[in-house]
Amino acid sequence: MAKPTDYPLLNEGLPRCSFPKFLIWIAVIGIVLAWGGAWMGVIFYEGLGVTALDNYFGFGLWITFDLAVIALGAGAFFTGLLRYILNIDPLKNIINLAVIIGFICYSGAMIVLALDVGQPLRSWFGFWHANVHSMLVEVMFCISCYLMVLAIEFVPIILENRQLDKIPFIHRLSHNFHVIMPLFAGIGAFLSFFHQGSLGGMYGVLFSRPFVFREGFFIWPWTFFLFVLSAVASGPVFTMLIATLIEKMTGRKLVEFRVKAMMGKIAGTMLAIYMFFKIIDTWAWAQGYLPSVGLTFSEMFHGSMYGQWLLWTEIGLCGLVPMVMLLVPSIRNTPSLLYTAAILDCIGITINRYVFTVQALAAPVMPFEDWQIYIPNQAEWAPTFLVIAYGALIISLSYRYLPVFPQEKRLNA
Amino acid sequence: MGIDRRDVIKFIVGGAVGSTLTPIPWKLTDDISIWTQNWPWIPTNIGGKNEYTPTVSKLCPSNSGMLLRTVSGRPVRPQGDPDSPLSGGKISSLAAAEAQMLYSPSRVRRPLRKTSDGTYKAVSWAEAEAILSEKLGNATGGVGVISGDENGSMNEVLSALAAGFGSDDCHFMPGSAQAEAVAYNQLMGGEGQPAYDFEKADYVLAIGADVLESWGPVVATRRAYADMRPHGEDPKSTWVYAGAFQTNTAAGADRFVAMRPGAQVALALGVANLLIKEGASATGLSGFASLAAQYTPEKVAEVAGVSPDALQEIAKGLASAQKPLVVVGAEGNEGGSTAAAIAGIACNMLLGSFKAVPYPRTVVQGAMGRGDMLAKDVASYVAGFKGGKAPEVLITYQANPVYALPGSIKTKEAFENVSFKVCFTTYLSETALASDLILPVPHSLEMVDDVATPYGYGKALYAVARPLVPTLVDAKHPGDFLLGLGAKLGKDLGFASYQKVLEAKARAMGANWADVSRGTVYVSDSQASTYGVRVDADAVAKAAAVVEVADLTLCPVMKLNFGTANCGIPPFNLNTIRGDELDSDYLYAHLNASTAKSKGVAQGDVVRISSAAGTVMAKVNIFEGVMDGVVAIPKNFGHTAFDEFTRGKGDNVSALFAVASEPGTQASVWTGQAVELKRA
Amino acid sequence: MASKKEFDIVWGMVIDLDKCTGCGACMVACQAENNVPVTKDATNKLRSLTWLLVYELSNGKPFPDHDVAYLPRPCQQCGNPACVPVCPATVTKKDEEGGIVSQVYPRCFGCRYCMASCPYHVRYFNWFDPVWPEGMEKTLSPDVSVRPRGVVEKCTFCHHRWMHAKDKARVEGRDPYALEQMEYQTACTEACPNGAIHFGDLKNPEHTVHELSKSKYAFRLLERLGMDPQIYYLSRREWVRRLGDNYLDDEKTGDFKVVGGHGHG
Repeated sequence: MAKPTDYPLLNEGLPRCSFPKFLIWIAVIGIVLAWGGAWMGVIFYEGLGVTALDNYFGFGLWITFDLAVIALGAGAFFTGLLRYILNIDPLKNIINLAVIIGFICYSGAMIVLALDVGQPLRSWFGFWHANVHSMLVEVMFCISCYLMVLAIEFVPIILENRQLDKIPFIHRLSHNFHVIMPLFAGIGAFLSFFHQGSLGGMYGVLFSRPFVFREGFFIWPWTFFLFVLSAVASGPVFTMLIATLIEKMTGRKLVEFRVKAMMGKIAGTMLAIYMFFKIIDTWAWAQGYLPSVGLTFSEMFHGSMYGQWLLWTEIGLCGLVPMVMLLVPSIRNTPSLLYTAAILDCIGITINRYVFTVQALAAPVMPFEDWQIYIPNQAEWAPTFLVIAYGALIISLSYRYLPVFPQEKRLNA
Repeated sequence: MGIDRRDVIKFIVGGAVGSTLTPIPWKLTDDISIWTQNWPWIPTNIGGKNEYTPTVSKLCPSNSGMLLRTVSGRPVRPQGDPDSPLSGGKISSLAAAEAQMLYSPSRVRRPLRKTSDGTYKAVSWAEAEAILSEKLGNATGGVGVISGDENGSMNEVLSALAAGFGSDDCHFMPGSAQAEAVAYNQLMGGEGQPAYDFEKADYVLAIGADVLESWGPVVATRRAYADMRPHGEDPKSTWVYAGAFQTNTAAGADRFVAMRPGAQVALALGVANLLIKEGASATGLSGFASLAAQYTPEKVAEVAGVSPDALQEIAKGLASAQKPLVVVGAEGNEGGSTAAAIAGIACNMLLGSFKAVPYPRTVVQGAMGRGDMLAKDVASYVAGFKGGKAPEVLITYQANPVYALPGSIKTKEAFENVSFKVCFTTYLSETALASDLILPVPHSLEMVDDVATPYGYGKALYAVARPLVPTLVDAKHPGDFLLGLGAKLGKDLGFASYQKVLEAKARAMGANWADVSRGTVYVSDSQASTYGVRVDADAVAKAAAVVEVADLTLCPVMKLNFGTANCGIPPFNLNTIRGDELDSDYLYAHLNASTAKSKGVAQGDVVRISSAAGTVMAKVNIFEGVMDGVVAIPKNFGHTAFDEFTRGKGDNVSALFAVASEPGTQASVWTGQAVELKRA
Repeated sequence: MASKKEFDIVWGMVIDLDKCTGCGACMVACQAENNVPVTKDATNKLRSLTWLLVYELSNGKPFPDHDVAYLPRPCQQCGNPACVPVCPATVTKKDEEGGIVSQVYPRCFGCRYCMASCPYHVRYFNWFDPVWPEGMEKTLSPDVSVRPRGVVEKCTFCHHRWMHAKDKARVEGRDPYALEQMEYQTACTEACPNGAIHFGDLKNPEHTVHELSKSKYAFRLLERLGMDPQIYYLSRREWVRRLGDNYLDDEKTGDFKVVGGHGHG
């Protein structure tokens, strides 16, 4: 096989496709980026009125997307926590990818947030005029800090690039980074825990919205803990799924199946804990809280768009089913079933974030109001896909130029 | 010394790191927040000296009394005038937007003349005057007038000018006052204008008249309503609304009684019957009692759909009240039955609560009195244009007949038979666009004008609207213009300016010009004699006999926040139109569930509603406040002229009105219109 | 909020729903008073700006038993607002004497969390830059700043009118915190031809709202959620009062204890 044109940048022993082929792939990503970028331009120029958001749905696709990717990006902090703090060694084989995905998810969320606020140039007011009572302030501080941590965690991976590593200074820097990485993993875990929780708290504190309001422990509503648990129950398998996707696309083995199954087991365990609390929470909400404000469980659902099927899918098909699949070794150790369970798990968590964001706003609170429908339009989808394309770009570049998977050489020998 | 790549990078990185240690990024960040607040296209506040000047609304049919707030002479907005009996410090939804209407995109900005290819060309006032002089000078075929202002003195100038050309074809646009004027002045032998004293009224029965929203000087009426109703306590007055649709009046009334559109005469006769049975009587009602006796509660139930119990209750309430009042009006305030008006007056006579005030005395030589003009039937006049009875010159003044006259008249086609149409208007209406010469009238806050004893008010009254802001466009006072034109044509009307007309008018009303021109409203206790008033029972009987129950009857609904035919929908009022009244470009037709079911339509269905006169497209809104067998459709939508805030929104319900001649009274009526409804 | 702030003056409204006929004069007066821009297609109520919105209520019965009522909904100026604790940038506060929930437009960066938190939908977002028909911007009131796109706005109880009233009292040497009821009235109260809206200090026995708010016919919207609104509604009709809050079929109006309102932080 001929060496690609950009061979000097590639890592030794990790063959990659030809440079033109790579460029074609980048061009595909580029088209999506251009589409999303164009819409971003329109939104910045015209205002948020071009979206399908309205005075009832101040939050829509973007917030749902943000919450979903932040939950799915939780693989980064949780894997880091397990790898560096609890010393679960096999996870070192996937930690690099977890960090990259975490970085993509958080920076992608930031891009969307910059679009989503009405006055992006003033968004730093949240720091400057911070309202300590606001869960959103907690989220803003934690996400910003955690994104910095993720960037710091990403740096040593970049520094391992063949050309960069040749520079003695960078080589030593990179080594030192590795030494202090447990510290950042610890900080990251702490920050991440809080903002995953705060995102849930954002909804749980809305005592004016019976659909999402939850009592809680001390100052934290139950959703605080449910969001943390659901994130760690889905983040690891999302990382694992992305690894598998890269494998399928490149045709190379990157992560040992044993490691993947282990991620599945970790997620399954967390999912079991989450499901336990989620079901109790839903029960208490339906039987205790709702009647206390004069509402019934069935009033929280409407038509097919906001029907109870969402809840049953979230808890049953995408909750209990993957939980069982991930916990039973024989199922978990079958690749296709592991991946199926992982996908269901991720869908379940996404549905959860969707109903908390959109259905919460669609459900009327004043008795004389009607349910409202929200369907995102192209102005919202395009930047959303831009973030996905951005993620694909980062992963493609990282995969090509950085030694992301320590096992790659051995598995493909 | 050479600079290599590394040096450049060092410089850039060093510079970037260094500048974070300076105040520059922080200052920039701060500045950004300031810049983002100050875009040049965001208007900034202009302060100045505040003034509140009293005037009266000519834009709103309620003639609200207002205080116009100006800031350094710049109009900001009108508020209610606490000293005006037409306001009591309150304001209507339409008058509240009057200052903004100065800047309506549909204002006519200069005189326009239609060219041979149908487009409009700007002309100077001198040219406009020359054109009009020539047309009027040669007008051997007569001059016609249609006025959209029922209570201003402009009608005197217009009718006096027409009289100069030997014409008495001066008409008002259809309104509530007309049926009653024909009834009272022509058929009952009465003189003056029936007056409604809502103040202190302890029992009000509104038969079809939307007295709390669109009928008469409604802000004043609503003050009277409110005064008798302490909050959260049992009201000191009882208001009953009989109608086919739960209008705003129904919402405010203590009792909503369902009555078919156009069945006013039957209900009024039914009420009269029970009152007479209770022992009520009045002079001039010979023959009436025997007619009323036919309208037993059962008969009323059959014809009007009013339940016998409700009728009994109403009659009892009226009979036992200290100051009862019956008000008869048509749905949508137009095309109402003259016989119903007679029956309504008869009820008030039986209750001893009938009152009339003198019509404002005319001051311009040769002008027609208001009563005479009200008695003119504009519907048959315009319909006659096609039969060769078109005037040579037609003057429309603040009126929009092309849009608002009943569809069966096909006004636009009828207008083609008039060789020259001149339209005095503030806004570019459908009628303006069907005219040969469009002459801009200053906005009501820009010109002097008056309100003399508005229909529906309990007393004779005189108020003057004053020019409070300079005219924004190239408009001339139509009064001054026509007085000058008349003089030039040798038809001197005896006044040098319109203000002189108003001064004379004020004197004639008994008011002091100095006071009224400063915004004080003059109210007089003078009453018109009701001696010798009698009921033509025969005419009423004939009219009442033809009230029929249709499979589906139309109930037009007028609300002031929808604007008027003359001004379109004011931009500031669009927000008040509910989502179940207008859906972007579709109007909603309101039906109750059982009627909708019988028609096989459901919420949101697009339907075609048609009558002998025309067709209207609408979406169905299921509303249980509509009577069985009735479809309610709001007025003042479906404009094809004006601006983007008005044009193309819904359909025009007037298209469905088919004019009929009422037996017995021979008046044009288009109430109780039978319609068909089909899914489109 | 951990502790609810108490005020000596609590501006509030009592709106008599038996007298409101839904004419919309209050809405237009509000719009003109507060420089709220116009929308070409205002039928899309999810996008138009209506600081004061009149809702149509129905008793839900078929003809002929149907009854209708109209409910004007300004900002409820909650004693325990849901919007205040959630705002990340301290844009909206309830900390000024009088108990009006403030909104600092120049500080708002448009995250819309407050809108998500308000069950009354009193908060409106400027989806585009405000536009008036050419020249109409000349009628803008100097009392209220125009909001650019991207910020949230809402009813302020015509706060500027209170400022003016206080200034006037100070100039006349009177106590600006002891105003007569008529010295400070909101634009909607002033406009309402039916006198359905009363405005004043709920704590001042000389203001009519004080007694009216205690009427047996008085109720508030979504009272049991614990937001403690400063807008009271009056109706002699049971079905109207029932629509003020969510009730289970076996519950009676007013037969509940406040549930929410302790919130976060």
